[in-house]
Amino acid sequence: MSTIAETAPRAQTRRRMRVDGWRWAGRIFLVFMLLYTALPMIWMLITSIKSGFAATQFPPQWWPDEPTLASYQKLLDPQNSVGQDFLRFFWNSLFVSTVTTILSVIVAVPAAYAFSRFSFPGRNFLFFAVLLRNMFPAVIFLVPLFILMRAIGLINTHGSLILTYLTFGLPLAIWLLKGFYDNIPVQLEQAARIDGATRFQAFIMIVMPLSTPGIIATAIYSFIGAWNEYIYAYTFLSKNEQLTLPVGIQRFFSENTTDFPGLMAASFMMSVPVVVLFLVLQRYFVRALTEGAVKH
Amino acid sequence: MAHVVLQDLVKSYGGFKAVNHVSLTVNDGEFVALVGPSGCGKTTTLNLVAGLTPITSGDIIIGERVVNDLDPKDRDIAMVFQNYALYPQKSVYKNLAFPLQMRKLPRDEIDKKVKEAARVLDMTHLLERKPRELSGGQQQRVALGRALVRDPAVFLMDEPLSNLDAKLRVQMRSEIKRFHQDLKATIIYVTHDQLEAVTMADKMAVMNGGYLQQYDSPAQVFAHPVNMFVASFIGSPAMSLIPLQASTANGNTVLTGAEGWRLELSPRNAQKVAKATTRKVVLGARHSTIKLHKSAVPGSVPAKAYTVEPTGDVTFVQAFLSGAIVNVSVPPNIAVAPDEQIWLEFDQERMHLFDGETEMALKAN
Repeated sequence: MSTIAETAPRAQTRRRMRVDGWRWAGRIFLVFMLLYTALPMIWMLITSIKSGFAATQFPPQWWPDEPTLASYQKLLDPQNSVGQDFLRFFWNSLFVSTVTTILSVIVAVPAAYAFSRFSFPGRNFLFFAVLLRNMFPAVIFLVPLFILMRAIGLINTHGSLILTYLTFGLPLAIWLLKGFYDNIPVQLEQAARIDGATRFQAFIMIVMPLSTPGIIATAIYSFIGAWNEYIYAYTFLSKNEQLTLPVGIQRFFSENTTDFPGLMAASFMMSVPVVVLFLVLQRYFVRALTEGAVKH
Repeated sequence: MAHVVLQDLVKSYGGFKAVNHVSLTVNDGEFVALVGPSGCGKTTTLNLVAGLTPITSGDIIIGERVVNDLDPKDRDIAMVFQNYALYPQKSVYKNLAFPLQMRKLPRDEIDKKVKEAARVLDMTHLLERKPRELSGGQQQRVALGRALVRDPAVFLMDEPLSNLDAKLRVQMRSEIKRFHQDLKATIIYVTHDQLEAVTMADKMAVMNGGYLQQYDSPAQVFAHPVNMFVASFIGSPAMSLIPLQASTANGNTVLTGAEGWRLELSPRNAQKVAKATTRKVVLGARHSTIKLHKSAVPGSVPAKAYTVEPTGDVTFVQAFLSGAIVNVSVPPNIAVAPDEQIWLEFDQERMHLFDGETEMALKAN
């Protein structure tokens, strides 16, 4: 009797200590991850407000003696040739990403709805075929797609990029949205149809509003994918006035000197739209990723 | 309001017929329950009437129109779903207004009708709430309200009470019945709960395996089930069905149990048994028509008590007889012990006899 009473609390403390040990390991890991992801960003910001000379100093200055916004002014000044380029690249990226996003929503929404609601011959096959592309690394398709684009005369057009990004982004977009539609009870549409709506009206008035989080998540996903893509943009486009930001920023590496503050300022401004988009819409994004997973 | 006619209705999925040549007429203002076990085709039948599922063959007539190829919205019907199907993003008010908006009614008329419906269903104070802020019973009432604002020709209800807890279900049952009496509405009501069908409906259509088994008033279905399926499905506890062998000697017809006991039949029951295709006959008896004796009396057969379930008002005794379990109700003051030897006496006037092969009820003439 007494032995049980003695050993029981000790076992309990030991277990609690083990849990605490794991928790601390987790915290340390998270702090490490935070430094790992945040430090480059911070370094990018700090470098972008240094002068060209200060940026290459060794040992480095953690905080510049004379912080300056000169790089930003140069990049955003349409009078200046660097500024002209940067703004054009920015605009090109925005155009390609926005069109990709709009098109992928326009295609993914009805496709996901069809996969979720209708049964048609080859439905399962098609649904998994959609994923086939994602089984290979993107680079594998670089040369075949280049040849294809050249054959249909899309090389050196933004169209080639939009088409390519769509084929990469759509599969996951369709999967994501299908999970959403699967969770919307079909009786809602049936009720709407009995209440006087056509099938299309039921979709637009009842189902679409309910799937807004999914559509937003899909849009973010497509946008970020297109915004950050480098290798295809680098391969398909060669004319200066068409380049997108990831490729354009590379031009800050010149043969003689690299304008590190300019490069960092451009990189920072490139990450702003994505971060803002994600911060504003993140709750939808998280909801969308978990929504399909759990049955209600 | 309007009558509904189903003529030789068939719905097949590939080779499987979910609804198999069903014909029935629902008169104007009648409350008809489609009842049967899950998978019997009752919900499919309702969806065919609603137009949510295309029919394979046959005709559906609502009022004077054949509606086979009409969209749900053009059939002048309203439907209440098992999960209520309230639009989650809309307030109660907008849920009720939606069918009227879709019919392009002027705004002040919509407002008047929505408020009237809310008043009838006693939920004026809930109009600004979202469906998720309502209790199950309130959601149920909103679903009912959304059906009745439109004043449709036919109400279709698909197990509207099965998501409610037992107490609320009984309460809503009487509310729906009252609703039917006040509106003189034509209602087709799907349920797997035979008690709901018996208590609410003017007529019940018992379905099984896609076939319409019997279509009649609950009293008729209860008193004269056409086959063993209907007999066992309607009534609670279920009718006991005992497989027996029939034989005739010296002009007397006798049923023999597996244990060897013999039960002599009345002349009328003997007439029925004579119609059977083979010697296999199934005796059906409801718990209240069987008398339990502690000692052998003439006309009784020996059985062994298996379980005893007191419910307060009556005590149900289950006994083994000829390989079947027989349910008998006795007054609570009669004490029966499990495994006790008992004798059962069947009421010859109220017993049912079925053909052991075809499972159809045997008739005297």
